[in-house]
Amino acid sequence: MNGHLQADELLMIVAIACYVFGALALFAYFFSREAWLRNLGVPLAIVGCVAQFAQLFVRWELTGIWPLLNLYGSLSLFAAMSVAIFIGMAWRYKAWYAGGFVLALAAIALAYGVTWNEGTMPAVPSLQSYWAKIHVPIVVSSYAAFLVAFVFSVIYLIKYYAEARVAATVSTVELAGTGMTMSVRGDTPALATAAANGDRLAQWLETLPPLAQLDVIVYRAVAIGLPLISIGIITGAAWAKEAWGAYWQWDPKETAALCTWIVYLAYMHLHTRGAWRGLRTNWVSVVGFFLVIFTYLGVNIWISGLHSYKM
Amino acid sequence: MVQKLALNTYYGDFVRTFGNVLFAVSLFVVWGILTLIGVIVDQGKDPAIYFGSYPAPIARAILRLRFDNIYHSPWYVGIIALILTSLTVCTFKRVIPARLPPLRPVKIDKIPLHASIDVAGDESSVRERVEGFFRSRGWQLRKRAFDGTEWTFADKHNWARRGVLVAHIGFVIIAAGTTLYWARGFSGETVVVTGQSVQIPQTKAILHLNDFAYTITPVLTKGGMVYQPTDYVSHVTVVGNEGVPKPMTVRVNHPIDVDGTLYYQASYGFAMNFTLAHDGKAVPALAQRALLEGQNFDVPGTRLTVSYDRFVPTVDRASGMPSADPRVNNPAVILTVSDAGQPAGSAIVPLHSWVDLGSGWRLVPSHYLLYSGFQYRYDPGIPLVGIGALVLVAGLLISFYFLPARLYARVDPASGGRWTVGLAATTVKGYDMFESQFRGLISEFSSEYAMETP
Repeated sequence: MNGHLQADELLMIVAIACYVFGALALFAYFFSREAWLRNLGVPLAIVGCVAQFAQLFVRWELTGIWPLLNLYGSLSLFAAMSVAIFIGMAWRYKAWYAGGFVLALAAIALAYGVTWNEGTMPAVPSLQSYWAKIHVPIVVSSYAAFLVAFVFSVIYLIKYYAEARVAATVSTVELAGTGMTMSVRGDTPALATAAANGDRLAQWLETLPPLAQLDVIVYRAVAIGLPLISIGIITGAAWAKEAWGAYWQWDPKETAALCTWIVYLAYMHLHTRGAWRGLRTNWVSVVGFFLVIFTYLGVNIWISGLHSYKM
Repeated sequence: MVQKLALNTYYGDFVRTFGNVLFAVSLFVVWGILTLIGVIVDQGKDPAIYFGSYPAPIARAILRLRFDNIYHSPWYVGIIALILTSLTVCTFKRVIPARLPPLRPVKIDKIPLHASIDVAGDESSVRERVEGFFRSRGWQLRKRAFDGTEWTFADKHNWARRGVLVAHIGFVIIAAGTTLYWARGFSGETVVVTGQSVQIPQTKAILHLNDFAYTITPVLTKGGMVYQPTDYVSHVTVVGNEGVPKPMTVRVNHPIDVDGTLYYQASYGFAMNFTLAHDGKAVPALAQRALLEGQNFDVPGTRLTVSYDRFVPTVDRASGMPSADPRVNNPAVILTVSDAGQPAGSAIVPLHSWVDLGSGWRLVPSHYLLYSGFQYRYDPGIPLVGIGALVLVAGLLISFYFLPARLYARVDPASGGRWTVGLAATTVKGYDMFESQFRGLISEFSSEYAMETP
């Protein structure tokens, strides 16, 4: 028993350490764009992610109990999937600059999960179902995709507001001699002008991809999360039908998941409209992720119901 | 005539309002807020609980606005009805026309994703090369002439334009399945004491509980001893439509099917037999009755009512108080006695010991029997809901992972015996999604066919 717990805890420590140091390296890369920082941070992210999946597998193999039946296990998968989805998207879109945020959030989730580790517990009867191996990973993966969307939305918003500030400053300078007071907010040529004039903030902003590309990445991440949470709600309903006899019982967890789904559904609908695409949809993505946190942790811990972790 | 015009105006306003995406999103927001209220405010509780949990004005508001049963309130049902109406109008007035646009000429320069490439050769060979280029990359080509100008339309993933429609149809099928349950299905709960039978009113099936067992596994955790339940199992004998008794086993997650009605393991408890005696003589009626937790009985000839509140499997021998151990080791019952409706006291009474009720009355909790709670449900809508869920997921996957794009191509004469190929692209998800692919296509086309600039 002690042997497996030691292996379990060792892998967990490796994962947290990798995430913490990887986050530091990639945060530094976010600001400096020094390639060696990226080359240091990316392998750490990959090693941490692999260590986490290994930890979950070792725990399952040695205890014989599906490891995602408590908050410790599910937060561990949440962190691992967040990093895995991020690695996939960063690979596709050359977006390693966002890694510091993702790894930091993964490390926080993991560290918080460790506080819920009560050791090896057999599953209660309602969790002894094959649905646990389908429903839980799907839902947790959807939350992970929304975390990645959230991170890119935050970067979008940082860039949007910083760019607007730089553009406003530049236009004031340029127009001072003409006596005109018109401002050109969010104007990319103004950003380029400011960067050429030596504005450090503008120079840094220029290293980030265009807002349109960031918006596409957020959309792609939500496009991973929304089908997953839809399938997660459907499989949860099927499981509830098998365990309790009803698809839907208006349990706080179910309804909070429904709220989350509605918000991301609204995101997708708003994204079809040019006027809403960009700033507003990214705010919706941010709000959506706070709702994800409420659904995932808030409901389980603060509100008692069928999904409560409270004993 | 005037009436018809007025009707048309109303219809136009109705379609405009319910076909508006922002209106639909506003409905989503209201739905989300109402649902969130249902998460935060406990549902279906006694009014006193709300007054105990919230300040009086908020508790009153919760009750008056029916937030205590929000999912069945007019607000909630109304918003879902509005969303379904909006869904229907959007499907026919927005989704279908927008997703399946007709083939028609466009102003190429006005579309954000556009390019013009000069190609050498005669007109027919240029057209052939344009068509060959896109066809070899999996684009589906169609040609149309408008005012003497020939247009080539190239579509990728054209079939995926129906993805959103498929997802919306999935919703409608799920709604139909749940409606079928409301119309023809039923559900209920029943409790059976070990050795006894019940008849299900709707199906007339008979359920006899042979025995019920539960397994508790004590686990020493970092936070202390936890008594983890690991199994609840009911062994029953069921008599269905055929009239033949069948032994069956019901577990959590493993319901049994009796003539299409499913029976689920829902709860369990301890039924109790009491011996009530007056001046040493037992009252026979009560001895034959097994009381469930929460039930009560009157003491004959007095104003006393005894309530069997709950069973305590293990009483801590040192403190005499209920312990956390749910296994039966040192059992007792908690009884509450009221006199003419007024509480007169409560006590933990160990099994086989007695409690003096006064005036010569004595009560003995003599022995317990396990009872099992079952939920049953007949739902003819299950296949439809399942199909609807699959259709919904298929629609979402098609919508999100296949990007339908349309290229508009026209060939115009340019100076020096050259031809200008004008290309523009549109997608159903805006231009940013397709920008890099369009750039790649133009780059490939240019490298293969574009004339070198002198």
